[in-house]
Amino acid sequence: MPDGSQKSRRQPTFNTIQREESFKNPSKTSSTHPILNEFVTPHIESFNALFDDSGLPKGDGDGRGLLSLGLKDIGERVVFDGSGELGTESGQRGWGNRLSIWIEEVSIAPPRVPDRDTWSTERKIFPTEARERLTSYRGRMQAKVCWSINGDIHPDQFVMRDCGLVPIMVRSVRCNIRSLPSADLVRRHEEPEEFGGYFIINGNERLIRYLILPRRNHVTSLLRPSFANRGPSYTQYAVQIRCVRPDQSSVTNTLHYLSNGSAMLRFSWRKQEYVIPIMLILKALIGASDREIFDNVMMQDYENTFLTDRVELLLRSFKMYSLYTGDQCLEYLGDKFRVVLGMPEDWTNQALGAWLIQKMVLVHLESARDKFRMLVFMLRKLYSVVSSSCCADNPDSPQHQEVLLPGYLYGMIIKERLEEALNQVRNQIATDVRKEEPPVDFLDKRYIMKVINKVNWDIGSKMSNFLATGNLVSPSGLDLQQASGFTIVAEKLNWMRYISHFRCIHRGAFFAELKTTTVRKLLPEAWGFLCPVHTPDGAPCGLLNHLSRTCRIVTAPLSVAEIPALLAAHGMTQAFSSSIDGRKNLCVQLDGRVIGWARQSVAQQLATNLRIWKTEGRHKVPLDLEIGFVPESKGGQYPGLFLFSTRARMMRPVKFIANGKDDQVGSFEQVYMNIAIKPDEVEPDVSTHVEHAPTNFLSILANLTPFSDFNQSPRNIYQCQMGKQTMGTPSTALQHRTDNKLYRLQTGQTPIVRPHLYNTYAMDSFPNGTNAVVAVISYTGYDMEDAMILNKSAHERGFGYGTVYKSQIIDLKEMRGAVKSSASPTLHFGLGHDVRTAEGDGQHTCCHFLDKDGLPFIGTKLDSGDPIAAYIDETTGRTRFVKYKGDEQGIVDEVRMLGGDTGDIELQKLHITFRITRSPVIGDKFSSRHGQKGVCSQKWPTVDMPFSESGMQPDVIINPHAFPSRMTIGMLVESMAGKAGAMHGLAQDATPFQFSEEDRAIDYFGEQLLAAGYNYYGNEPMYSGITGQEFAADIYIGVVYYQRLRHMVLDKFQVRTTGPVDPVTRQPVKGRKRAGGIRFGEMERDALIAHGTSFLLQDRLMNCSDYSTAWVCRTCGSLISLGYDDISLGESSAGTMKASGPGGEYCRVCRAVAEEDDERARQALITGQNPDRSPLPGVKVAISSSNMLRRSSKGGDLDVVAVPYVFRYLCAELAAMGIAVSLEVQ
Amino acid sequence: MNQPGQQTTNPGGGGFIPPPRQDMEYICADCGAKNEIKSREPIRCRECGHRIMYKKRTKRSA
Repeated sequence: MPDGSQKSRRQPTFNTIQREESFKNPSKTSSTHPILNEFVTPHIESFNALFDDSGLPKGDGDGRGLLSLGLKDIGERVVFDGSGELGTESGQRGWGNRLSIWIEEVSIAPPRVPDRDTWSTERKIFPTEARERLTSYRGRMQAKVCWSINGDIHPDQFVMRDCGLVPIMVRSVRCNIRSLPSADLVRRHEEPEEFGGYFIINGNERLIRYLILPRRNHVTSLLRPSFANRGPSYTQYAVQIRCVRPDQSSVTNTLHYLSNGSAMLRFSWRKQEYVIPIMLILKALIGASDREIFDNVMMQDYENTFLTDRVELLLRSFKMYSLYTGDQCLEYLGDKFRVVLGMPEDWTNQALGAWLIQKMVLVHLESARDKFRMLVFMLRKLYSVVSSSCCADNPDSPQHQEVLLPGYLYGMIIKERLEEALNQVRNQIATDVRKEEPPVDFLDKRYIMKVINKVNWDIGSKMSNFLATGNLVSPSGLDLQQASGFTIVAEKLNWMRYISHFRCIHRGAFFAELKTTTVRKLLPEAWGFLCPVHTPDGAPCGLLNHLSRTCRIVTAPLSVAEIPALLAAHGMTQAFSSSIDGRKNLCVQLDGRVIGWARQSVAQQLATNLRIWKTEGRHKVPLDLEIGFVPESKGGQYPGLFLFSTRARMMRPVKFIANGKDDQVGSFEQVYMNIAIKPDEVEPDVSTHVEHAPTNFLSILANLTPFSDFNQSPRNIYQCQMGKQTMGTPSTALQHRTDNKLYRLQTGQTPIVRPHLYNTYAMDSFPNGTNAVVAVISYTGYDMEDAMILNKSAHERGFGYGTVYKSQIIDLKEMRGAVKSSASPTLHFGLGHDVRTAEGDGQHTCCHFLDKDGLPFIGTKLDSGDPIAAYIDETTGRTRFVKYKGDEQGIVDEVRMLGGDTGDIELQKLHITFRITRSPVIGDKFSSRHGQKGVCSQKWPTVDMPFSESGMQPDVIINPHAFPSRMTIGMLVESMAGKAGAMHGLAQDATPFQFSEEDRAIDYFGEQLLAAGYNYYGNEPMYSGITGQEFAADIYIGVVYYQRLRHMVLDKFQVRTTGPVDPVTRQPVKGRKRAGGIRFGEMERDALIAHGTSFLLQDRLMNCSDYSTAWVCRTCGSLISLGYDDISLGESSAGTMKASGPGGEYCRVCRAVAEEDDERARQALITGQNPDRSPLPGVKVAISSSNMLRRSSKGGDLDVVAVPYVFRYLCAELAAMGIAVSLEVQ
Repeated sequence: MNQPGQQTTNPGGGGFIPPPRQDMEYICADCGAKNEIKSREPIRCRECGHRIMYKKRTKRSA
């Protein structure tokens, strides 16, 4: 607390010197701000997990990467050459030689310069080159494909197959700037804080967005009326489990309850759904007898007639299959699925059945016994839901959710692509065997290598395509609900937006179309995991969330192999025990495996023990273990002790009160925990945990709103959006960026009032706004309706001055006249002989802009249409120019000449960056950090601005009406705090939840203001700038940090007098880009009609739109029957023509009718009959005489009328449909 | 693909006389070395083999 008496030197609070030092000399050993690396950890570690040398802990596995695990899961593909004879040993049915092919290993190398390039001293490719050369940051992938014949493995029966260039995540284990310190990053033209986590595709930074998925290996009960529509006797009840294999690919198993008491297991194989009676699986798994199944499901609860009835029905209904043993069931399954699975022909049905169960049923479990126990548990849970003794789980709650991580998805796609390629090899050989031309010889190594090389193994291009489009091309669908929208561009609009991309988490494209809003609801379960403030409003509201600041996603495998034994030693009954009472015992599960049973009290004790052990690191219990103890309840969630150790879970740190240690809490367990928010809120014997900080539930961006606890919550939501649209500092390596459009605030400042985390996240490296002296006063009337008045002198001093960087790419290969697929290009940059470059009068105008190499001078000012590059066409020998296409004046900022991949291509591609200055103008949008946006309405001269007693004049004037309805008290507090901070030279801490009713913010800052000689409440007497008289009221004036938003009038204004029209309707075209008009629609028309302003109506809808004149026939009323006699030829040629107008115009219809009449009259004379008249036209439109422009004076039957051109078009269209329109001209 | 370093000859040509080869100085994006690259020479730094060049700032004052 500052007071004037303190004479000793105060610690600086803005850290300007330190920051300058860290900019000048970035750290040579580590990151300058290591915290920035933290929030992309899940991106990077999930990608690293693909590789065997991931650097992640081994956990229970052997530390192999996901790709290796995936290859193991793919297995081998088998073909027979059909050479065997019936009855011989090689195959009972004449299969012949058995060739099996598999992929032994795949490797992905870091991005490197191709070997053909022999000049580069640096063989590594760095991300900056990919960005600047607009290429992708990719590394070579290779697969070792092996084969064996009849099971004999020869060491030389393999081939290394090139799989193309696979995009590499920046800063991952395969990236060349992994773990480089800040100083080296700067040397490599990166941000000193570069944290990676994205891919570079064609120069764009793209990342795979987090996606919410159902929690893996956990049974959730569902109640969906749509399940009843799946077939006869299906009901709305089901339990579902999303099982995940070690390679992170998943299979969802759903157990449906049928109204006859039995259950069907559903899974999908290659996007096709299959259902199997659960009894078939139970029996097939371990050959269980009916008695065994009955006992296991009942668990001694024989009084429960609901359950006994169901289980009896379940057992009875299976009798019709007449399958009694496990082998019979496997046989049956194998027989039914043989065609679908496409496995080796020599496998028995039994083997196929076992394989199917291993691949598709509860794939997270290895042993059949475990699968059996889990299925029985699912069945028990299902019956429990049906009998309403427990409730259905909410799949929209974060309790039952986890995250799809980028690396895992990437691995799944690679795995599937490899499998696809392997299948193609198999199919190719099978086709060759069938064709027998020439007969296939498996022992011929060259043949097999030829086939392997023939098949398309280019996985790299497929991965690039996936990242570039976000579209998933997959035969299996990867157990995901969507096939597109997986990737987004990491826009560097400003730093806030950029970092938000890495923390955003999407619910899934499927839910965006849903009519119901339940999925969008903010649930209390999300506390601390998903930020309640940081979500957009509008269409993606509640679907696109952002992770809370402290929320982590577990990416390291944990070792939990010893936990079952540990629990058994502390009172858990082992799973194999046969005499467990299901009424009194709770199931204990570890990652979806039944590891035992325990009574409620024991289970609770186990949970407590585990928590103590894990926080204290005893018994090798990992800290990231999630201990979900669901106590018994009447009609609540199904009880049990559920332990989770798998990856992709959301966890967050809190303090464990019992021992004061740090604890990690997951979203499943949190629901049943009592976590106090502040230490003084801890309730004895109730609270077990306390938050580290009360702001931990907010996202990074929401945390940056000062005094957000004083604001109405929607205002904080708005600030989270506007912070991301601010013109700020997108990057500190601007020279090396090639983004299409970058916004930069030239005069960024550090905010005087900032939350503590602003420093933690080093936001000062990327300033986002300017401190402004803001007066809240209704002055001049130009601050109505959220408009704000800008002090002209503040503007001249550089308030909110910004720049837009745009870029244009000139690729001669895509120009007209370029020779495709030619080694030597025919277009070259430069000025040809036809351009006179010598100085003097005859000099070509392009020489003002272009250098002699045909490229623009750096610093040249360009207007629309000016040349920015010249190139010579070899075939014509002429010079052609590329024009500047922007419509504002731009300055050439940088000219990049881009070479080829191997550095042996002459200049064909240019990247030019333009700098466009954007000083604030009237109509530009500004906002404070409290969702208070406004448009600049005037740049008011300083002399006319109001001034305070000390002579201060505001930079910005806003209207007091901005506050009452919006209740952004935080802005008022910021104003006071900023004023005091500016006077005392303090960076004010604006962390929310620091003040209380007893210790009020207004008192804290009021005292500071008082000490600085101001009014306690921040208001001051002020004087009119125009009259010099004091205002009747004191004016609230202080310092508020203002952001300039990127929405600028220069990008938005749309005005035209005349301009391009649509060729068909001749009405003005639409669209700002095409210089079109703004639609004057029906409702606008209604308004004019209501006002009776008919002249204006006429002007808008007719004269300024598609005014046209047309000839109309007075007799038949037709608009479209105009014909002309060529009167220059004279009467003679026309012969006996009817009368026409002075210009020779006549109505073709009426003339034809008249001629017909003559003919008919002649006919009538002959036959003596009176024929019918021709029918009159159907639609009649009256046109008043006022619209008639010219009445043809003599002879002709036609008048000229003014009609909208579309009306003529309409008449023509109607005529085409056989409808005549007749105008009645009065 | 052309063999690097070799002079690109005009195929056929059709009477096309290439304009005098301008040698301009450019700056390597990686090592910052000044490179004289004549028109139709590959974009490659003589020092480090890098494949991006920046155009130098102009010194003319007009």
